[in-house]
Amino acid sequence: MLKITSLRLGFGGPDPVIAETDCHLEESQRLLICGEAGSGKTTFLAAAAGLIPRLLPIPDHAGDVTLMGRPIATFDKTELFSTIAFVSQNIDDQLWDLCVEDVIAFPLENRGVEKQVIRERLRTLIAAFGIEALCGRRVLTLSGGERRMVAIAAALAASPLILVMDEPTTGLDPAARARLAALLQTVASSVSALLVAEQDPLALLSVIDRIALLSDRHLSQPVPPANIVPLDNPWRNAGLLPPLRQRSERPPAILGRPLLEVRGLTTRLARPDGQPVLKGVDVEIRASEVLALIGRNGAGKTTLFKAILGLEKIASGALVLDREAANSWTVAARARKIAYIPQNMRHILFNMTVTGEVIFAITAASATSTDPNILARAAAALDRYGLSGFAEANPFVLSARQQALLGLACADAAGALITIVDEPLLARDLKGRRMLDLFIATLQESGRSVMLISHDLELVDDVATRMMILDDGAIAFDGTLNEGWESATFRQLGWPPPYRQMAGEIG
Amino acid sequence: MNRLHEINFFFKLAFAFSVMLVAWLVPGWRFGLPFAVLTVAFLWLAGVPGLRGYIKGALLLSGMVVVSWLVNLWLQGATTAEALPIAAGMAARLVTTTAAFFFVMETSTPGSILAASSAARLPPVVTLVLSLTFGIIPMLRDDFERIADAQRARGMEIDDVSLPTKLRFALARGIPLLVQAIRMAHAISFSLSIYGFDLKQKRTTWRIVGPMVEPRMNMKDKADDN
Repeated sequence: MLKITSLRLGFGGPDPVIAETDCHLEESQRLLICGEAGSGKTTFLAAAAGLIPRLLPIPDHAGDVTLMGRPIATFDKTELFSTIAFVSQNIDDQLWDLCVEDVIAFPLENRGVEKQVIRERLRTLIAAFGIEALCGRRVLTLSGGERRMVAIAAALAASPLILVMDEPTTGLDPAARARLAALLQTVASSVSALLVAEQDPLALLSVIDRIALLSDRHLSQPVPPANIVPLDNPWRNAGLLPPLRQRSERPPAILGRPLLEVRGLTTRLARPDGQPVLKGVDVEIRASEVLALIGRNGAGKTTLFKAILGLEKIASGALVLDREAANSWTVAARARKIAYIPQNMRHILFNMTVTGEVIFAITAASATSTDPNILARAAAALDRYGLSGFAEANPFVLSARQQALLGLACADAAGALITIVDEPLLARDLKGRRMLDLFIATLQESGRSVMLISHDLELVDDVATRMMILDDGAIAFDGTLNEGWESATFRQLGWPPPYRQMAGEIG
Repeated sequence: MNRLHEINFFFKLAFAFSVMLVAWLVPGWRFGLPFAVLTVAFLWLAGVPGLRGYIKGALLLSGMVVVSWLVNLWLQGATTAEALPIAAGMAARLVTTTAAFFFVMETSTPGSILAASSAARLPPVVTLVLSLTFGIIPMLRDDFERIADAQRARGMEIDDVSLPTKLRFALARGIPLLVQAIRMAHAISFSLSIYGFDLKQKRTTWRIVGPMVEPRMNMKDKADDN
């Protein structure tokens, strides 16, 4: 169906991102491409889906892409995007301020499909994705995971022949990932071929039938999952964490004084049924602790850290920061004690240079400084996270991985007591994990702490010292990781405990 | 969101044009000022979101209009007693006009505008221009607030400072807002391309459109589909 021959893609640098790569996607094939962040997965998928060069022209582009025997360049835009549907990794790149039904129905409305047909298709997709509760909501007000489900539903709306998805499980909780996998199995009959990129193959193992690794600018020969998933070296050579790696036991952390105490926090923000999003929440974080906060999509995790930061109004509750009552503190005053690293760093960058961002993190007032001490701290932080070469670059031209590293550098340099890390995607490959480990170790050694919000349970198990489960607006579990995975609260989530899923799926 | 959001966009647009017409036809400030106050009071009674911000902007705009007209008329030899009613009347007209269109903008989502335009079988380009014209300002305002929150969340004290400093910080948000606006334009253009928007193909809509526009899908009752 889709034949890619001698593909070469580059952005004008000395080396191309993809070089002399072939890929043949046969009818009914479900191919998963795995590679570390920055390996060129997104660029490759964009070329395979015809986005490059039609919508995204790049300076270095060579090779042949044929779709159903015809050069992809001969397809007009309408024909091409009726045949291939594309779901971007950065989901915000293809969403704007429409409501959920508008987004899903958009491809059908644009093609002039009859109202009754659209409504029937909407009902089918909304029910299949289990997103009835999101009907009528503006898509930009949804959580990242919810937005992704809506975008995937939109991609399927017009029944494309080939579905191309770039890291579709990003931001989805384990139950939503399982639901997506089941759904993709269901839609397999309506989609002739599936091309997906991911860093971790396990979530979509039940959907795909071939895996190829992308590393060093080349795509390996696709092989059945059973031939590669149990191995260790191919994944490490591609810069990825082996999917069936062993769980590592970690020594218990030596905890210090309480840095953050939240008591009885109830938000003014309410759910559609009138119940507050958070009710009576207690949180304590001690020095050198790595507290993991997990919970379903929409459980209130984002609201919790926003309330702690002062970005969400609270109806009642007490906040103590470093033994000082902080309820009346402004957001900025709290932020000097609590750094925040969102999943998408673009939301919090606003200075003109990378160095400026770090200096701003230190001074909390200006992006420039003549103080040699501040300049030295900024340079050291950039060096520690491998960003020295980008010191004068604009932060918006950095890749998502480099922006995430800039987030670590800023939080480290700022010296905040607590850093809230929201779904750190850079931790899904070896290089990114090393940087996150370095960041956590640096903070722990200096008596600071981390609050990790993540759906990546293996990451939680690897780095956290304690976990909390947020469910239905309340803390339903607070304790050690081993107790947490065995708890009734965790079982109620219906998620597979970390590492056990790995053994079960393939072994 | 209330029932005002569900009124067909074109009804609201016609209402806003009528209000504007009245504002510019009524003679002098004696009618203009009460009409402007009435229009703003309607926004308050209707619970239009973002009214506080609008009033701040309207006051600033009115001040600028009054001053510029006073200077203009003084230069032409008018006395203050002659110039002030004219300036006040112009400011009142401007407030009424902006308030009427603020109402349309704040109570119409891009999706509901797309639906109303598609149901009216307007050409796709008109549909798109209308929904972006009325939809982009609330989107940019939300982004402006998001950037302010990001600045706060990174320790920048923009609340507990003097007004000039607050204004300086607000101006500093211009650069990230510009970046965000470009990103938004790219997202819209990208989604139009991959979701098959075609200037030659008239759109349809999933919504039931009449004097009111259906705000959300009824998952259970299929009786209304036809």
